[in-house]
Amino acid sequence: MSLATAPTGVGLGLRWDFLEEFLEICPPQVSFVEVSPENYMRRGGYYPTQLERVRDHYPIITHGLTMSLGAVDAPDERYLEDLDAETKRLGTPWHSDHLCFSTAGERVLHDLLPLTHSQRTVEHVSDRISRVRDRLGLPIAIENISWYAHPGRAELPEHELINRILDRADASLLLDVNNVYVNSLNHGFEPRQFIEAMPFDRVVQLHVAGHTRQENGLVIDTHGADVCDPVLELLELTVARIGPVPVVLERDNQIPPLTELLDEVERLDEAYRRGLARRQKRQDARARGEGNAARS
Amino acid sequence: MQRALENAMADLVLGDEVDPTDERAVDAWLERNAVPEEDRRAILEQGVERLSVYRSLVRGNIRRAIADVAPRTVARLGELFDEYLGKFLRERAPRTHYLRDVTVEWLDFSEPLWCADERVPDYLADLARHECTRIEIGARESKDRDREPGELSLDRGVELVPAARVVRYRYAVHQLSDEQSDRTAPQKRGTTLFVYRSPEHEVRYLELSPLAALVLEALADGATLGSAIKDACAQQGVEIDDAVLSGTATVLADLAARGALLGSAAPAT
Repeated sequence: MSLATAPTGVGLGLRWDFLEEFLEICPPQVSFVEVSPENYMRRGGYYPTQLERVRDHYPIITHGLTMSLGAVDAPDERYLEDLDAETKRLGTPWHSDHLCFSTAGERVLHDLLPLTHSQRTVEHVSDRISRVRDRLGLPIAIENISWYAHPGRAELPEHELINRILDRADASLLLDVNNVYVNSLNHGFEPRQFIEAMPFDRVVQLHVAGHTRQENGLVIDTHGADVCDPVLELLELTVARIGPVPVVLERDNQIPPLTELLDEVERLDEAYRRGLARRQKRQDARARGEGNAARS
Repeated sequence: MQRALENAMADLVLGDEVDPTDERAVDAWLERNAVPEEDRRAILEQGVERLSVYRSLVRGNIRRAIADVAPRTVARLGELFDEYLGKFLRERAPRTHYLRDVTVEWLDFSEPLWCADERVPDYLADLARHECTRIEIGARESKDRDREPGELSLDRGVELVPAARVVRYRYAVHQLSDEQSDRTAPQKRGTTLFVYRSPEHEVRYLELSPLAALVLEALADGATLGSAIKDACAQQGVEIDDAVLSGTATVLADLAARGALLGSAAPAT
């Protein structure tokens, strides 16, 4: 599968909680599935067998959790070897991971920790992306994370950090719309402006999810609630700006019955279609304007 | 990322808790991680409270991963679980990219400490290993076979499914209830189990006699069937007679019927 033949529409992050039921009904409203390869790498038995069945019915896009692109030390070779085998087996059009660090030396932290927004990070991460892309022979997309505090002195705004890394590495962006919204609440900026500052031609995929507000007011990207209306509106705006790309609904906590998740997929699909319609309308208006200009 | 900031964040999430309101504690944290002055100033201006959010996120993920794999061990440890989780995170921390393997790392770290801690029941390490084995065997990689196994023969080894192994416990922990609220102590008796993944992907257990355990361990290590029986009988101090041979044949036939034994191994080259 190439970038040109990648799926579009709304897909679902595949979770073991509903895997069996998902395979029983193979819901038609789901256009593709996204999986975290770490859950299947170096593994036999039930889940990889079921994933083979999923692959028979849906395109699969891989989304990693522990590449630790921003860490000082490079990912270990055994991990990359396993990832290489898994991404090839699943035929993913690209592999994505997060703009973060999740290791410290040999220690694996199993969460997404924020990087400093600095030119040094730009150079380090973009070099790392290039090396990983060469190693896997696959396009790499990075995802903007939810971050709750900055670990040190910030030289750049986040959108500038993302743009510079993508330019320098010639990489793609997995734009997590919920993360933009969560960060806008926690750090006090206008999410639409942030979206407008993204390099639209590099966006290959979108993520949406739910979040939770703590008692102290901090909003945490829990993937444990329904997608809220402002995030749906941001999704619509983003699709209107970038056009058809695969959109993934992520749900990792408080996972509801599959039927409810599928209802949410349909809600996302409605927002997605509204976004595409807005885009078409704008393109039509532009074409009419150009036609009028040519006639005058 | 600079190494100092990476280490500082790892220290904040894995090490002793830093009270964000305690200036001396915050200073000590920044000092021991040699955080550069300009980053230090930025962190102090921003406050450490929000950075500390990562402590609860990281620890929560690892805690849930261990509780998923070994729920009965965690339940029986009670409040001690957090103590041993804290020690593990501070002194060792996960090294694996796979959350499912974190519990084994935690157990490898904790087991020697439990031996010296009278608050931890003597049987608990066996129970924890038993819970980990279910995940290990359930997830063990399969292998593509490049030959069809042949008939069993005394001068050849046997081919077991890759997802199988013999485990030994000092307690009969496999007989404990699956209920997390159960606190019954297991019977103290040496127990050997053959654990395997069935063709239906179920993890199953067979309790073995001492002789069968020795035979299967030797076979799993690559011995020929003849030498496995001979060495096992020698260790048990029993004669190789018809009863031993027919008993071994029965065990192997049962394993084959269960899909755990595939046939004879390739001849040694």
